[in-house]
Amino acid sequence: MQEYVNITIDGAKISAIRGTSVLDTAMEYGICIPHLCHYPGLSDIGACRLCIVEHIVNGKAKVTASCTLNVAEGMVIRTDTDRIKRLRRNIAELLVAQAPNSRAIQDVAVRCGVKQVRYPFHNDNCVLCGRCVRVCAEMWQAKALGFVGRGKDRHVDFPFGRKPDFCKSCNTCIDICPMTITPCPGPMKTGEEYLCLACEGQLIMADSLPGACVWCDLGKGFQCARQVQAG
Amino acid sequence: MPKLKTLKDLTKFRESLAAQKEDVDCMVTISGGTCGNASGSLKVVEAMQSELASNGFAGRVHVRVTGCQGFCEQEPIVTIDPANIFYCRVSPDDVPEIVSETIRKNQVIERLLYTDPATGEKITKETDIPFYRAQDRVLLGLNRKIDPCNIEDYIAVGGYSALAKVLSGVTAEQVIQEIKSSGLRGRGGGGYPTGQKWQQCREAAGDEKYVICNADEGDPGAYMDRSVLEGNPHAILEGMLIGSYAVGANKGYIYVRNEYPLAVSNARKAIEQAKLFGFLGDDILGRHFFDIEIMRGAGAFVCGESTALMASLEGKVGEPRPKDVHTVQEGLWNKPTCLNNVETWANVPLIINKGAAWFASKGTKGSKGTKIFALTGRVKNTGLVEVAMGTSLRTIIHSIGGGPNDGVAIKAVQTGGPSGGCLPAEKFDLPVDFETLAEAGSMVGSGGMVVMDERTCMVDVAKYFIAFLQDESCGKCVPCRLGLGRMLEILTDITEGRGKPEQLDLLEDLGETMTHTCLCALGKTAANPVLSTLRYFRQEYESHIQDKYCSAGVCRELIQYSIDPNNCTGCGACLKACPNKAITGESEKPHRINQDLCSRCGICKDVCKFEAISIC
Repeated sequence: MQEYVNITIDGAKISAIRGTSVLDTAMEYGICIPHLCHYPGLSDIGACRLCIVEHIVNGKAKVTASCTLNVAEGMVIRTDTDRIKRLRRNIAELLVAQAPNSRAIQDVAVRCGVKQVRYPFHNDNCVLCGRCVRVCAEMWQAKALGFVGRGKDRHVDFPFGRKPDFCKSCNTCIDICPMTITPCPGPMKTGEEYLCLACEGQLIMADSLPGACVWCDLGKGFQCARQVQAG
Repeated sequence: MPKLKTLKDLTKFRESLAAQKEDVDCMVTISGGTCGNASGSLKVVEAMQSELASNGFAGRVHVRVTGCQGFCEQEPIVTIDPANIFYCRVSPDDVPEIVSETIRKNQVIERLLYTDPATGEKITKETDIPFYRAQDRVLLGLNRKIDPCNIEDYIAVGGYSALAKVLSGVTAEQVIQEIKSSGLRGRGGGGYPTGQKWQQCREAAGDEKYVICNADEGDPGAYMDRSVLEGNPHAILEGMLIGSYAVGANKGYIYVRNEYPLAVSNARKAIEQAKLFGFLGDDILGRHFFDIEIMRGAGAFVCGESTALMASLEGKVGEPRPKDVHTVQEGLWNKPTCLNNVETWANVPLIINKGAAWFASKGTKGSKGTKIFALTGRVKNTGLVEVAMGTSLRTIIHSIGGGPNDGVAIKAVQTGGPSGGCLPAEKFDLPVDFETLAEAGSMVGSGGMVVMDERTCMVDVAKYFIAFLQDESCGKCVPCRLGLGRMLEILTDITEGRGKPEQLDLLEDLGETMTHTCLCALGKTAANPVLSTLRYFRQEYESHIQDKYCSAGVCRELIQYSIDPNNCTGCGACLKACPNKAITGESEKPHRINQDLCSRCGICKDVCKFEAISIC
């Protein structure tokens, strides 16, 4: 038997299934919260911090990631305050400055309203969202990939750096990776990275984006949970 | 030793210890903590023991090796009771004189006495030393009376009587109420009310619960947890025993970093002895069962964060997890877990013994009791300082610390380690308590206090802490991993003369983003060093950017060494010392520095005896 709790997201009264996350509930009800490391069916680790929301507790707004926050009776959530938009934009800016050579990341940047990048570009090919690590461990029970190192040295690798025989070569890690598709104009060379913004046409209103999901094409870019679930 | 089974046994045993003590004429206390060891106190102990034995004092004079007593820079310290004579910086060669003069004839040896750097006066008695006099050494004071490897010493000063009191008819709810009304707050940095945490853990569903002592102290410049665990391990065991009784746990862990070998070994010995005496195990004074295990950390700073610590304890990678469900509900192995800092646990027996009202009488409205601070940096007296909460920074730095070293004005104090901030000298009248420091943009944190004077560049300090945190971040969440990297990039630009004015606003914006969005407390507080220095020392950042000028003369890219031809005698000392061969000149004629070759290491300035080399 599913139990329901009553929560409020952006003023909308929602009957949510106990045990689900705020992000899942919001997406289910068509409230758009940008996200990257979240993938339907995998556990949430709260790494990308794009899905931050304000959780109002005793009148105080606490910023927290919505993927790791489970719904509870009487919970009040705001997903689109000016502060949240600004913080989210800053995180997306950090991401796109680090890995501009990915359509997904460029789409996330547009979706979060990044207009300029204030840092010099790096051309990394991983943002450590951990989708590959989790899908390998949780869906295929293979654990052929894992995080290695700490802090700035953290990266994804096979155990001891060699492809193990328990890797099933299923390629799900590649399918699920947000970094595999380059921006539409083609790959960017090191030193020539730029903020793409080409998709802005699809979301003219990036600043005054509706709280409701409009099934935007950007979602396809970063494998938005709603698009994935709809099949 | 038979197990002590009842309260009566314990009292009787304590009385017999007191009777033994009366047989001893003289007590020689030598501190042998990590600081003492490093300064050679173990050799002093050996020399003292053999000297006493050969002079026929064995049995009449007792030598006690204690943990750190707080005045680390004066180690090895030898105190002789009952006269309360305090000798500092004692070497093994001084020992025969101490035995023949002080112990035999009760004569004071002038040259071994402590000299007050403020007045130049020699001070005989330990209690008259200004460093100690202004303190309220409730917890640290015990270190002097206890040999950490000897449970009898701890029992003699009233040890385990709080446990006995609790187990002789006090309910768990009453214990929690007592802790609550004492106003004790977590000493590890967060300042969460301890009683409240215990109550939540007690009320959490589940039969199996855990208590943990967090001794993974990693802040640069902070070492009070080490000193307490090293010098008084039984106080922590007793605190954890009381806590476990209150929350309903039967298993405890001490998570201590492996870089504290003496703390690990002393805590191990303490656990063994406590088991022998029946304070740990299946039948504790007939009322409770509890066991403690020691786990050693593997060197990650982030494992001091509670959820990362628990992951590490479980054998997983030490990474924090989101705290939307608190550890008092789902902590170690998803069971309710009560985690407290070393100092918090050590305060518990004192509160139970002396009462909540006694504890609450010290401190301010919101922060009760005393707190140990590690005072380091550019002050005359460095060491561990225990004062009541609410004592002003000025008292700590000027009265206890003795004020500036070498006559250079003090500019700022960095409190709370890398998560804390820098407060300028104008703010030194602020009382040190959780709320006030947080409002001022810093924090009490675990209690590190690094004093900085005009020779310190605040941009460089911020850069140091950000580099430290970048190394120590787990790298899991984006704002912490990438944000710290970008911060370091910008700070490096500024210190190397490539800074732009708009980068200051970017630093603030980025800092605020990290403060709100990071996953764990390490990330949420990581921007504090930058935000606080920007708040109070913005003009230093601006002069780095606009004038390419570092007033402290620290940032190498912005300074030049030059030789004043009027002062230079041409002695050639700098010429020989320069590793880059950047100095040229004939003997007895003024030398010159070739700026292209100079790496700005500053060795020439250090070796010059004529003050001819200056930074501009």
